[in-house]
Amino acid sequence: MENLYIPATNETPEINFNFSEHKLHMSGESYPENAMAFYAPVRASLHNYLSNTQPHGEVEAHFSLKYFNSSSTKLIRSLIALMHDSAQAGKRIVTHWYHDPDDDMMSEFGNDLKDEFRMLDIRVVATEPA
Amino acid sequence: MDQISAANHGGAAVEPVRIVHFTEGLLLPCDSVTPATPNKDVFALFEAQPEMMGLPVVEDGHPIGLINRNIFMQSMARPFHREVFLNKSCIAFMDKEPLIVDKKTSIQDLSFRVLEGGQKAMNDGFIISDDDRYLGVGTAQDMLRAVANLQAEKNRLVMESIDYASVIQQSLSRPSRDGMRKTLADHFLIWEPRDVVSGDFYHFHDYEDGFLVVLFDCTGHGVPGAFMTLIMSAFLQSALNTVRHDDPGAILGAVNRLVKTAMGHIDHQHADSGDEESADDGMDAAFCWIDRRSRTLTYAGAHLPLLLLGPDDQEVRSLDGDRQGVGYAATPMDQVWRNHVVELPEGTCAYLFTDGFVDQLGGPKRIAFGKRRTREVILKHRGQTMPEQRAALLAALEDYQGREPRKDDVSAIGFRF
Repeated sequence: MENLYIPATNETPEINFNFSEHKLHMSGESYPENAMAFYAPVRASLHNYLSNTQPHGEVEAHFSLKYFNSSSTKLIRSLIALMHDSAQAGKRIVTHWYHDPDDDMMSEFGNDLKDEFRMLDIRVVATEPA
Repeated sequence: MDQISAANHGGAAVEPVRIVHFTEGLLLPCDSVTPATPNKDVFALFEAQPEMMGLPVVEDGHPIGLINRNIFMQSMARPFHREVFLNKSCIAFMDKEPLIVDKKTSIQDLSFRVLEGGQKAMNDGFIISDDDRYLGVGTAQDMLRAVANLQAEKNRLVMESIDYASVIQQSLSRPSRDGMRKTLADHFLIWEPRDVVSGDFYHFHDYEDGFLVVLFDCTGHGVPGAFMTLIMSAFLQSALNTVRHDDPGAILGAVNRLVKTAMGHIDHQHADSGDEESADDGMDAAFCWIDRRSRTLTYAGAHLPLLLLGPDDQEVRSLDGDRQGVGYAATPMDQVWRNHVVELPEGTCAYLFTDGFVDQLGGPKRIAFGKRRTREVILKHRGQTMPEQRAALLAALEDYQGREPRKDDVSAIGFRF
């Protein structure tokens, strides 16, 4: 299926879903006025990929987000939930959640995700910005 | 050239603002000629009226073309042209496809047509007609001014509307502000909407046996966020009629059921299924009941923590409450928020912050202000009054934020009891 690339804007993150290589990247900031409008197609494409593709190896997901508003929070969570359901059904997915070592909010969010989505391999990684 | 445009600019600025909605409002009377008019008459007209950039050509009352001053004058200046053309019809030098706009055309439609017309329409302006009959001309400069004035007028109307919405929102919280002032000798309130009205809101209710302090943060900010605060406030009032006021967890549960039922956030237990287009809004919230006699605080939280600093504490304690938000489609109808009961030694400070405070970006690395910094500011200023702590918290946030724009509504309540 076709890869999904959406360049970053001031209010929306970069989406780089390289489905053919089974690598999913999302990075930047997310505070659009209408978060649903931005995330609905992203979610649809991830859903389509997870339900229709059988990779030989594992799927890699990388989230490096600096800021997101509360409506984006729910939708980012729903992307993780999709991967969680897929992992529960047997797919091998490794999810990396990156945060700045000083960013206690992002680190806490990553650890909350770990608590909540126990069947998904979520690795919270403290990393200095490149 | 610069001086001329600067002078024009200054002149335009002092003119009273006149709002023009239709092309008619830009009409300038202008001499016109007919196809029978010889070029020598056109020449005379241009010489007599140096400000006239274009001369319309009208046949039987219908506009058929526009003679551009510069093109005409340059042609006339060529060798022998004058002798050859002076007595011939003026249509030789006319533009046969000038921009002709009906007087009832809106300024917005006109501006798009002028833009489509490119440089020609910007220079020559346009002919204004009434049912295809010639009326006069309009200039691109007048059109630009009309567009700018309209834009300013629309902004003003929207801002006036939002300003008044803010008056309504603030009168809804007045009883809570008065109640806090009456009941809490040492307290502060931060309520800073990002865009005039806020998606954050607070309530304070005083009862004989204690008082209820509520801070919530609805999804969104600005007008949609403020809508949600009104809805939530109404449901909070109605929940307080049916459940005990000293049971914050039960109040959260009741508000959740009311919101979900009223807004149709039912039937899909997962936010990731169902109708993506439907709204799915709710709130983070912290509800605190303070019992006067037992000196206890009962807290129930939906993703909005409570910070506590007792007189003998070395660190700021944080009660995180439950993760589940209130009213969302993914939140079950029968969701239970747990009550946490803590003792309040005399002089304990309690704080509630919406995430706009801790999530604000700033600092050299552009990362969130965070909970750690918030706790540090509180610890450092623990000996000061609550209003002084408020000032210290806001100063720390603003200093950290620097030139980074405010990302969200920022609210907080603090009190010493």
